[in-house]
Amino acid sequence: MARHDRRVGYGLPLVLAVALHLAILVASVIRFPERETEPPSTNIVQATLVSTETTTDQAQRAEEAQARAAARQAEEEAAARAEEQDARQEEAKAVEEAARQAEEAERQRQEEAQAREEARRAAEEEAARRAEQAEQQAREREDQAERRRQAEAEAERKRQAEAEAERKRQAEAEAERKRQAEAEAERKRQAEAEAERKRQAEAEAERKRQDEAEAERKRQAEAEAERKRQAEEQARRAAEAANQGLDRAIEGEADNVANARQATEAANSFINLVRRAVEQAWVIPPNVPDGASAEVSVQLGPSGELFAATIGQSSGNSAFDRSAVQAVEAAAPFAELRQLPASAQRDYRQFNLRFRPGDIR
Amino acid sequence: MNDSLSLPHLIMNASGVVQVVMLILVIASILSWVVIFQRTFVMRRARKAHRAFEDRFWSGVDLNELYRETPAEQETQGAEHVFRAGFREFNRLLAKTRSPQAILEGVQRSMRVAWSREEDRLSLHLVFLATVASASPYIGLFGTVWGIMGSFQSLSMAQQATLATVAPWIAEALIATAMGLFAAIPAVIFYNRLSAESGRLLGKYEDFAEEFHSILHRNLQGRTDPGAD
Repeated sequence: MARHDRRVGYGLPLVLAVALHLAILVASVIRFPERETEPPSTNIVQATLVSTETTTDQAQRAEEAQARAAARQAEEEAAARAEEQDARQEEAKAVEEAARQAEEAERQRQEEAQAREEARRAAEEEAARRAEQAEQQAREREDQAERRRQAEAEAERKRQAEAEAERKRQAEAEAERKRQAEAEAERKRQAEAEAERKRQAEAEAERKRQDEAEAERKRQAEAEAERKRQAEEQARRAAEAANQGLDRAIEGEADNVANARQATEAANSFINLVRRAVEQAWVIPPNVPDGASAEVSVQLGPSGELFAATIGQSSGNSAFDRSAVQAVEAAAPFAELRQLPASAQRDYRQFNLRFRPGDIR
Repeated sequence: MNDSLSLPHLIMNASGVVQVVMLILVIASILSWVVIFQRTFVMRRARKAHRAFEDRFWSGVDLNELYRETPAEQETQGAEHVFRAGFREFNRLLAKTRSPQAILEGVQRSMRVAWSREEDRLSLHLVFLATVASASPYIGLFGTVWGIMGSFQSLSMAQQATLATVAPWIAEALIATAMGLFAAIPAVIFYNRLSAESGRLLGKYEDFAEEFHSILHRNLQGRTDPGAD
């Protein structure tokens, strides 16, 4: 019989066992972080990206088109449509989720849907109101600009007419001067020839002098007019420059309005996101009275990290207050803040959240 | 958050007791796997050796020749060991006594001793597997309970109890249970498998012993009958 396989040593089994454990350790270390990063990013961040990106894209396209008023309307409609779509998507998502968890939390879902509906309606009304305001402002500004432009055109016309008259006057004066010079030469020749003519010439010269003085006066008046015209021109140019500045200012303001509107939209979605995240993280303690409501003022850092969450207005139930603060802390890094426009970021680094048990599950 | 919940980070930051528990469980797991591999190899070779020996035994070879072919007593194993012990006892008793009854009894006894040695050899360390299988979940549970105790103690010191302060503690505590189960599950599975295999092998040895006994009995009948007549 084969004697060599009589005894089995422990060396090979030991090596195999250690190798197995090392392999399992390495596999777990490599796989764990990857798997953990996925779930939190899918729920919240994706939703933000969808809503803000669509609105900003539309706004940019409108800016490029330069047809601000029309574009703004279109944009508003589009934004409204996008919002509706968003809402519809959300609703569809909610319906799906509800279908999945129907038997589990029917009542909760209804409440949630109601809350979401309310939130959406509020957001739509807000957007509509803001859009109306922006439109009104824009219309007023346009009216002003129109009036200014008409006034300018009138002034321009006047100025042109004046310039024409001036030119005619100059031509006449020139012709006059030439004629006078000729007359003088004639007179001289006549004075040389005839003494009698001299007197006439003197008289004539007298007349001429008077004429000249008159011409001089005229010329001075003309110069004066010229100076006036130049001053007017300058004034006009200054006015024009001012007008242009105003126009630019108007445009800038329109931009600002558009940006602000965009920012408010993004911020609205940001606030909604924050609210949703906080809602998800909120564990309502038992035995809370129905009417309890607490207000938590939240301060965020520049990258969305939580600086402070304090009770602004207590509900009177300390457990409830603590649960609200804890919900904010649990939902804390609001990284979506960085996706807001820079101007809006500063505004939304501090906000209040109101907690009411009726609102959320 | 992600980084602080990674597996090595959690293990490194665990409290002393939990770390000791984890170390014990890792050692238990490694040792149980050593036993699993070693026993698997032993069983496979024993099965192969038994099959080869049975082929040789039933090939019609002379028993004396077969006995001479097999090596010394301590190095044989399995059915070979049983055969060798029985046949040696048979030869020794054959020279000393005439009573077939006494010879067969002596042969049976020596074969039973050899069989029991084989049983001891085959089920060696299987008890360790059984111990790991039954004890390591409890050890892991102890580590978990201890870790959760620690987490609640730290909670009592904190002003506000958030999930973030409790989560690492509980995750770290639960790792101990996970490791206990990780050590116990293969131990249970392979204990059952290996003990069933050893039982089957021992049954085969027993069958062989009975067959050999009947052969010797037949031999004795043939030898003593003419002498008695």
